[in-house]
Amino acid sequence: MSRKLLYVTLCIQLFVLAACTEKEIKVPLEDVGMVGIIAFDYIDKDSMKLTVAIPQYSPEAQRSTQTFSVTTELVSNGIVEIEKLSDKKIVFNQLRVVLFNEEFARQGNIRKVLQHLYRNAEVGNKVLIAIVKEKGEEMLKYNYPDKPNINFYLNDLLQPSINTAFNPNTNIHDFMYTISNPVFDPTIPFIDKNSDKIEIKGIAVFKGNQMIELITPNEALIIQAIQGKKNLAPLDINMEQGHGKEKLLIDLVENDVHIESNKNMHSPKLTIALTIKGTLSEYKGARENDLFTIESLADLEKDVNKELEQDIKKFLDKLNEWQVDPSGLSEYFRMYHRGKWTTEKKREIISKVAIDVQVKTSIISTGTLK
Amino acid sequence: MSTGKSKKKLLNAYHVVFLAQSVMIGTGILSLPQQLSSLGYSQALMPLIFGVIASVTLYPMIWINSKFPNDNLFRINEILLGKWLGKCINLFFVIQFLVFIAGIISNYMHLIQSTALQEQTITGPVFCFLLLLIYIVSGGIKSIARFCIMTFFLTIGFLYFTHWAFEKGDMSHFLPLFNFFSVNDFYEALKRGYLSVLGYELVMFYFPYIVDQKKAFRHSLIGIWISILLCFITTAISVMYYSEWQLEYVEFSVLNLFKAGEFSFIERIDIFGITLWVFLILSTVAAYLWCAKKGVETLVSKKSNVYLYILVAIIFFVVKMPSSREFQDKLFTSANYVGYMLILWPVLLMMVYVLRKKKQVQV
Amino acid sequence: MEEREQQVIDQIKDKVQEIDDVVIKEMVTDVGDATIIYFSSLIEKMTLQSMVFIPLANHVNQIFQVSEALELDDVDLILQKLDAGQTLLFFHKTAQLRVIDTYSAPTRSITNTETESTVIGPQDAFTESLETNISLVKRRIQNPMLKNETRTVGTETNIKISILYIDNIVNKENLDTLRERINQIQFPFFTDISELKQLIEDNPLSPFPQHYMSVRPDSVSQYLIDGRIVIFMDNSQAAIVCPTSFFEMFVSVEDYYNRWTTASLLRMLRFFGFFLTIMITPMYISALTFHPEVLPYELLLNLQESRSKVPFPPLIEVLFIELIIEVLREAGSRMPAKVGQTIGIVGGIVIGTAAVEAGLLSNILIVLVATSALLSFLPPIFLLSNTSRFIRYIFILSAGLFGLYGLMLAFAWLFAHLLRLNSLGTPYMSPVVPRNASDLFDSIIRFPTKYLKTKKGISRAQKK
Repeated sequence: MSRKLLYVTLCIQLFVLAACTEKEIKVPLEDVGMVGIIAFDYIDKDSMKLTVAIPQYSPEAQRSTQTFSVTTELVSNGIVEIEKLSDKKIVFNQLRVVLFNEEFARQGNIRKVLQHLYRNAEVGNKVLIAIVKEKGEEMLKYNYPDKPNINFYLNDLLQPSINTAFNPNTNIHDFMYTISNPVFDPTIPFIDKNSDKIEIKGIAVFKGNQMIELITPNEALIIQAIQGKKNLAPLDINMEQGHGKEKLLIDLVENDVHIESNKNMHSPKLTIALTIKGTLSEYKGARENDLFTIESLADLEKDVNKELEQDIKKFLDKLNEWQVDPSGLSEYFRMYHRGKWTTEKKREIISKVAIDVQVKTSIISTGTLK
Repeated sequence: MSTGKSKKKLLNAYHVVFLAQSVMIGTGILSLPQQLSSLGYSQALMPLIFGVIASVTLYPMIWINSKFPNDNLFRINEILLGKWLGKCINLFFVIQFLVFIAGIISNYMHLIQSTALQEQTITGPVFCFLLLLIYIVSGGIKSIARFCIMTFFLTIGFLYFTHWAFEKGDMSHFLPLFNFFSVNDFYEALKRGYLSVLGYELVMFYFPYIVDQKKAFRHSLIGIWISILLCFITTAISVMYYSEWQLEYVEFSVLNLFKAGEFSFIERIDIFGITLWVFLILSTVAAYLWCAKKGVETLVSKKSNVYLYILVAIIFFVVKMPSSREFQDKLFTSANYVGYMLILWPVLLMMVYVLRKKKQVQV
Repeated sequence: MEEREQQVIDQIKDKVQEIDDVVIKEMVTDVGDATIIYFSSLIEKMTLQSMVFIPLANHVNQIFQVSEALELDDVDLILQKLDAGQTLLFFHKTAQLRVIDTYSAPTRSITNTETESTVIGPQDAFTESLETNISLVKRRIQNPMLKNETRTVGTETNIKISILYIDNIVNKENLDTLRERINQIQFPFFTDISELKQLIEDNPLSPFPQHYMSVRPDSVSQYLIDGRIVIFMDNSQAAIVCPTSFFEMFVSVEDYYNRWTTASLLRMLRFFGFFLTIMITPMYISALTFHPEVLPYELLLNLQESRSKVPFPPLIEVLFIELIIEVLREAGSRMPAKVGQTIGIVGGIVIGTAAVEAGLLSNILIVLVATSALLSFLPPIFLLSNTSRFIRYIFILSAGLFGLYGLMLAFAWLFAHLLRLNSLGTPYMSPVVPRNASDLFDSIIRFPTKYLKTKKGISRAQKK
């Protein structure tokens, strides 16, 4: 009997409550402005310029994106200001990209802004971050003739793809992970508007919360390789190893990395062993006509090894000089260190560490043409 | 007479395994890595230690129950401690259960409110949840047990969604093992984290319904270790995926693990995760509520479904209490700590039992 | 002639006086005068000729061999016999009342089924005649252990039902429970066996059918062999099979005729289709009202665009189109076949496209609703398909209330409810925890036929 009653009450409840919620302020989908990109530009120590891009679905509108900018001191305050400008309710649950300009990255407090977004349950963790050279606002407001929607354009550009494998694809989680983890320093892709196109110029390396240097894609690829990325972007190698100037491109690169430390905090030493497999897709240089035998290829491999070892060593030495550790090398010391690991220990280790790089390249094939 | 007896024995081996298993997994596991964060990366192995503790404490429970194969803990209390003292203790347990249930529900509902149902009050969701709860509990312990089995198979698939975090994570975080030095940190983690493995102690209440009581220990143990394994997977993947700072400040780390991945057609798996979690909450709370109802029935020595409605009304009141969140939090955490008492309670009963036996022998 | 007999005859004559199809004949035979009483509407002329009149005129002894004697005390019983199409013979000289079973009401011939048609396999279906139906089963199971118990139900109409089971396989406890339930029925009259089914089910309030119903003799025989109990009713086409499980609602007998791979695929389709049909539109509501973040960006912008002209919130929009679909379905099934087709076209194409163009509905929703309407016809048992129609509204409302959380609550309710259901005392959801490991061979995946010899756990068949 009670069960019968329960059914009836449950159904009635559902009806009544369903009717009630309509009264609650539940904004239907079409009246919501879903922010796709948010950009922060540095003004001075206290204030910043906040710009959002919202895709526009109405076919009558001239532009496919609405953009709003406000000057504000706090992120949430800025969002309230934008609500005033917009005809729709601003929500962040489809946020895709966060942009900072270079000045903000060098002087502002990126961590604070991102932590605010990280805490917001509306925002997913897969929001990508990028640093803009000039101004984020300009980038969002510019009319790209062949890209109708900046929201999709930027998002697709920053997505992982094999030819931009140097890109760390930093998302909010990655940033929070690297900045809060005392063995890492964050890296963020650096983009710039190049006439009508946007281009990934390189990677911004952070020391703690501040951007200190911009590195080239080739150098950034080394970070990815050391971090153990399995498939790398095509390797573009310029070398001079006794055969004059040579230029070659290794494609479809598979990478395998082994790092070992000597577990000694006082005289730290690291051995990095990289194994690279790939297809030689293009070659320009003196040996062009005798690369058909296994022996000559083995020779070439040796030279490539030497060249890569030099490059990597040079780059790592540079990083050590700056005392930054974007690839998390100090993790190999933390693993064997009892007690609390701190950022200071990382800086100390990184400035002292002696690195030994060994590269083993194997060219599996030379492409489909003989 | 014989039919009446066979009707009382309801729970077969599967039921016992999954009752122990599903009741343990509630809201606790969602924030387990955060509760254990005082240990930093070394927390990964903590659930295994919990498992050992749980196995050890399970033994006195089964022991005391096997001395009274047809009585639950409430009755045993009355038999061993005398009617009045027993009744007082029982009342205390019932109140503890109610606050504990209210704590779980309130915790979950606030989580729902902050992730899936933003800008909504929780009255409606809580009300509907409790209606469903009444429906499940009124079916008796067997219906709860069946629901537990169902829950396990429906939610176990979510393990798959942690594989993104696993792939992204770093194995080296496990090293060095046991990298903590102060006993205080360990104690803190134990105190806050053990909560998420509570639930197996309910075996003391449904023990009389178990068909194969001799094997109840083994079956419960299997259930406990399934849960412990799940907890271990959770903490292990969290340790791999997060930095120590994140472990400490991300409250519901499991949800963030789900956030790590996406499908082409569904982007936020954490929303599905947290809403599907209602099954786990229901199975946990239903078992506790059933026990509380049994407790009331022993207190007033009468069986009726009316108590169920009264209990649920009390829970509703506690969850929607017009007091500050702070006070509620305090109340709920203290109920949790009292829950630990229940785990050690059978040891006391064991002693009383042995003393009484000796006295009888002497007389 | 004794007085008492004459009185009884007069009494009978009196009782049947106002029934127009009663025939009362006086005949002179070798053993003296005889009065013959029968209802002409229940008996064919040929039967009457060959069984009563010719023997009566020529060899009266033959009559005594095929007829049975009846006591004169119970007038009600005598009248009942008359109602059942039997012929009463009263021999005045010996004051003897005899009765011959001449029931031969016209029946329709065996045709193929329209509700459970299959491509492969036997095409015959039950008819409305109890004898034909039993015969259809007995042809398939030629086994002396196949028993059928006949009883009557309906306090005012006396409908014959027959309980079939195989004596050395069936679980006796189940049989006793069923007999008891049938004995306890106090219901005036039955026009179809589905009414009886609702009265003997474990939980009559549930939206789910707890007993299997089929009009296919092959499917029924298969269940009989498995140890289930089958009930037939005179004048109704279907047979009840019990106990059964939720999962068996998705099993078509054709699965056993198909290759095991095809059969497994189709079963999966039906099983997940059932859950999809009740989840698709609620998902739409909850994603649009509560959780836009779960959908991909591009799809969401499409949705925004297609919904930009729609004036109602998603809940009302969905309820509106679902009700239209129900109306179409109902209108289609009531109309004559030729008109029904037109309605389908008018409803499907004209209303659908026009509603989108008029800005009443979003076109994505039309796709979803049409899919879920199609999916709802997947279960081979039509009653379950009706159930899914009803349950969907619970899901829609809860999704409208609390989004995905409401949906999951409804889902939890569905499972809690299914787990509480019993079919003749066995759990309705048995395959969740299979009672026998071998049950898994014939669940969502149907294993090759050679593995299917064992009886199912749910029928609790006698161990040999």
